[in-house]
Formats: sequence, C-alpha cells, structure tokens
Amino acid sequence: MENLIQLRNVTKIYQQGKVQVHAVQDLTLGLALGEFSALCGPSGSGKTTVLNLIGALDEPSQGTILLEGNDLALLNRTQLSRLRRDRIGFVFQAYNLVPVLTAYENAEFVLALQGVPAKERYDRTMTILDEVGLAGLANRRPDELSGGQQQRVAIARAICPEPAVVLADEPTANVDTTTADGLLGLMEKLNDEKRITFLFSTHDQRVMDRAHRLIRLTDGQLTGDEVRR
Amino acid sequence: MIGAMGFAGFIMIFYAALMEGLLHTTEQNATVMESGQFQVHAPEYRDDPDLYTMITQEVEVLNRLQANGYQAAPRLFGVGLAAAHASSVGIMLRGIDPDRERLVTEIHRHLLAGKWLNGDDPEGVVVGRRLAKALGLVVGDELVVVSQAGDGSMANELYRVRGVLKSINESIDRSGVFFLDEVFRKLMVLPDGVHEIAIRSPDDTYSLADHTQQIQNLVPDLEVKNWRELQPVVARVIDMSRYSLLLMLVITYSAVGILTLNGMLMGVFERIHEFGVVKALGVPPWQIFSLIAIESFLQVVFASIIALAAGIPLSLYFETHPLDLTGLASSSASIAGIALDPLWYCRVSVKAVVDPIVVLMVVAMLSIIYPATKAALLKPLAAIHHR
Repeated sequence: MENLIQLRNVTKIYQQGKVQVHAVQDLTLGLALGEFSALCGPSGSGKTTVLNLIGALDEPSQGTILLEGNDLALLNRTQLSRLRRDRIGFVFQAYNLVPVLTAYENAEFVLALQGVPAKERYDRTMTILDEVGLAGLANRRPDELSGGQQQRVAIARAICPEPAVVLADEPTANVDTTTADGLLGLMEKLNDEKRITFLFSTHDQRVMDRAHRLIRLTDGQLTGDEVRR
Repeated sequence: MIGAMGFAGFIMIFYAALMEGLLHTTEQNATVMESGQFQVHAPEYRDDPDLYTMITQEVEVLNRLQANGYQAAPRLFGVGLAAAHASSVGIMLRGIDPDRERLVTEIHRHLLAGKWLNGDDPEGVVVGRRLAKALGLVVGDELVVVSQAGDGSMANELYRVRGVLKSINESIDRSGVFFLDEVFRKLMVLPDGVHEIAIRSPDDTYSLADHTQQIQNLVPDLEVKNWRELQPVVARVIDMSRYSLLLMLVITYSAVGILTLNGMLMGVFERIHEFGVVKALGVPPWQIFSLIAIESFLQVVFASIIALAAGIPLSLYFETHPLDLTGLASSSASIAGIALDPLWYCRVSVKAVVDPIVVLMVVAMLSIIYPATKAALLKPLAAIHHR
C-alpha cells in the first residue's frame, strides 16, 4: 500500500540554552491511508514532536517528510497553510477552540477558510456535529461546554474538511474515562465509515488497546512498530 | 485606542480650522486692507516711485478692467511734511476715490476713531494710527500739509482730521494721510493720471497666476503684480504657517502612531495563542495580516467619525463666534507689517477637515505594518504554546 505519510531519517534537535535536545533521532516511518495508529511512549519520547513535524507545524533538523508525495521542506508558508487547511486535521490535547466562536462556528471554521458555500458548509457542519453528538449544543461557546464536549468540537473541526489525516495529540488526556471511551469510539467509527486516517500520540493504555497499529518511541527513536489488524 | 485617535483627530481638525482662519484673515488683511489682490503701475514706477511716473490713460484702463469683471480703484501718491501742534513728520500723501476704493479694499471699515473719507467733507483727511500719536492728533484737529506740487510750486494747505485708522501696515500707520482724490489733485497740481490702480478679482476662488496674466493681457503696456509679488514677506509667512500646520500634524500624529503601534502590538501579543491556533488550522500569513489591517482600518474609521462629529461642529461654532483675543493682543498686533485681527475665527474648509483625517488614516495604517507582519509571520507551534 502506498504511504500517505513518509518520514525518512527525520531528526529534530531543540536548542535549550546551551544544551541540545534530540527530540527525534533518525526516524523512518510510513503511514498508509485509513490507518488508525497510535504513537506511544513515555513523556519526552518525542510523540508530540513527530505529530508536529507531520502536521507541518514544525520543521525537521534533518531528514525528509512527505505527505501525499509532497516534500514539506519544499513548500512555502502559504503552501504549508493550504496543506494544513485541506489535508490535515488537528485535535489538540488542550482542544484549542476559538473562545469567541460557538461550537458550530468552531467546527465550520476550516470550511469557511476553504471557501465552501454557506449552504453546503451548514449541512456538512451540522451533520458532523450530529455525528459527534453535539447537534443540540451547536450554539454554545467553548466555556459553556464540558472538556469532553470541547474535545468533540475539536474532532468535528478536524474532520469537517475531510482531511487526509487527523493528528490527535493526547486526545483523551484531559477527559474522564467514560468520555475518553466515547471519544475513541467516535474516532474509530469515523475511521471505519469515512476511511479517515488517524494518528494519535498517547500514553493512555485504553487508546493503545484500541489502536490498529502501535508505534513505540523511546528517547526520540523508534523502538517498536506493531500492526494488530 | 479608538478614543485616543478620535481625540487627536478632533484636536487637529479644530486646530487646522483655527489656522486656516488665521491665515485666511491674514491673507485678507494683506489684500483687502490696503494692497488689493493686484496692482497696476506704470512700468518704472515701482523701481522709482516718482510723482511724474503715472498711468496716463487711467479712465480707459479702469473701464477695460471693469468691463472684464474686475473692481478697480485708482490711487495717487506723494510725499510731504505734516505739522500739528508743535510737531512735524514726513508723510505719504494718498489720494483715493472712496467710492471705488471700498469696492477693492475694506480700509474704510478699519477706523480706530472718527469717520472715513466723504465727498461732503473735502477738507477732511484720515491719518495713520502712529502718525496721529506722533503729532498728538485726535479727530477734529487741524493738520498742515506741505509738499512740492507737480508744477514745482509749494503745495501747502490746512486740513482737518476726520478719522484715525487702526493698524494697517507700517507704512500707513507711521506716515499715511488719506485725501479725496480731487483734493489731492488740487493740492499737488496733478490734473490727470494716477500712480496705481488696485484691483480685486470678481471671485474669491481666483487663481493668482491666471488672473495676473489676464489683467496683464488687458493692460499690456503696464506692470501688473499680484499680492504675493507685492508682499513677498507676508506670502512667505503664510506659506510657513501652512508648513507649521503640517509640522504640527506630523508631531501630533507621530504620537498617535506610537500609540497605535503600541495598541496593535498589545493586541497581537494578547492573541498570539489564537493566531497560532488559526494558523495551525490553515489560515495563511496574508490573511492574518489582512485581518489586523481591516481591524485597524475599522478602528480608524470609528476614530475618524468621532473626530469629525466633534471637530466640525466646534469649528463651525467658532466660524461665527470668534475667539476674542482683544485682551491679549493690542490693536496694533501685526505679522510682517500686516495687521492681525484680535477676533480669531475658525475657517472650516475641505482641506481643514480632510487633511487631519487622511493623515490620521495614513499614520494609523503605517503603524500596524509591524505588528501585522509580526503576527503574519508567527510560527504556529511557538504561537500555540505562547501564554
């Protein structure tokens, strides 16, 4: 199967004062379309850094990252913005919803950026909000929603534009067990039904148990890659 | 920030209207008090103001000017000596036609005491303010005038002071004595000709250069000068005052610019996290820049509305209700020899209103370039983690 995402000998070094921190070291990895995968490992193992690199939010110190065959290093700022808008969905650990927008407006945000006509935008957003169980809360602002509900809005925002991949950074870290199960079930369903590729970073055992592929990182290096289904 | 920009705009509109009023009054005083907007002389007269260097076909010249819509007033000049009580001083004799003169200048309205020249009182003369002081003259006093007449004889006559002028300019203040033109001709034995014709254009929106050329075409054998050429110092003072207004705009708006820059930087810093999030979601740099530019533009528009809503009514009020500086400035206050009116009017012109607003907009929009660029070029990841 052709890789949707390809990392070739990727290294990321951060400079913290006089100390160089090797967040990712010589990582080579491929992700195929429709995968439901989890990056796991202890804190500081480089999981979030890998997501940021794949999501074009950060640049590798060395190596190459290809998304749908496009070398991210060759794209300018505007092209990278367009890539993030059209091909990548983000679900942040801290939700990162726009506080002044309602759940509907947050979910619709990227569609508006894409210039999708208002009617189609409304239909698609309401359908997704319904799928994530928030149809009745569309007009609420983030501060009127629980943590789990906010994370559902973030998932809706990520999948509304029908991206190639959704990158979810510790999506269950700030929610209770019941909500976490619900969110995982939701993402699994979206993966099954819409063939959206999901890549999580997590050290939550429940997420690891449900992932179809488990990629283990330790000190920024690939230490395991287990395909379960 | 909107309030600060609006207040600055309001102050500048009012200040610009005040300055326009002052400059307009100064320009008016420079022309309507004495010189007129244009003057015509015999070609050699201005270089050597001789009693015999005259415009000889004055009636024809006056008719030609009037036929083309210009108001024109003939003038006669001579030098002599005036004596009253136990004092005497050198004087400039000025013979005028009061009926024509009032169509060109407003000197007849600028009396400190007494009345302006009148054909019913041929022996009555009007004198300058400092001349009256030097000779101890008050209205009704007798004044002996001695000169050399045009035929070489000794001209001397006794007149009565009919009026004393307020400050007009240095020359008139110190030595001006105004006569009816027929009285002047009789004293100086000059039956024909005039030394000067003062002219006023038919419209206030005149272009000096165009009118000067048009008048020159009407009287090709005579020398035509406009008031800027006649009073270059005054013209320069007015020009410099306009530059000072511009400088004031720049200084005030520099402060506004710094304020706007600071406000916008604060606005950007407060929203770095949000900018990071929306950039991560795919908002391109130019759209972030546009967002901040539009936001600032709307703020400037609101500020401009505030400035206009406050500045125009206040300036319009002072257009009809002048600031009375009588207590601060004496009646002799002047700029470059031109009398200043102690009543300071605003003048609400398009320029006085538009210039401050345009400059405000330009300064504010220039001020947002740095913060908007900074926001546009933020790295999404660093911005998201900014708290």
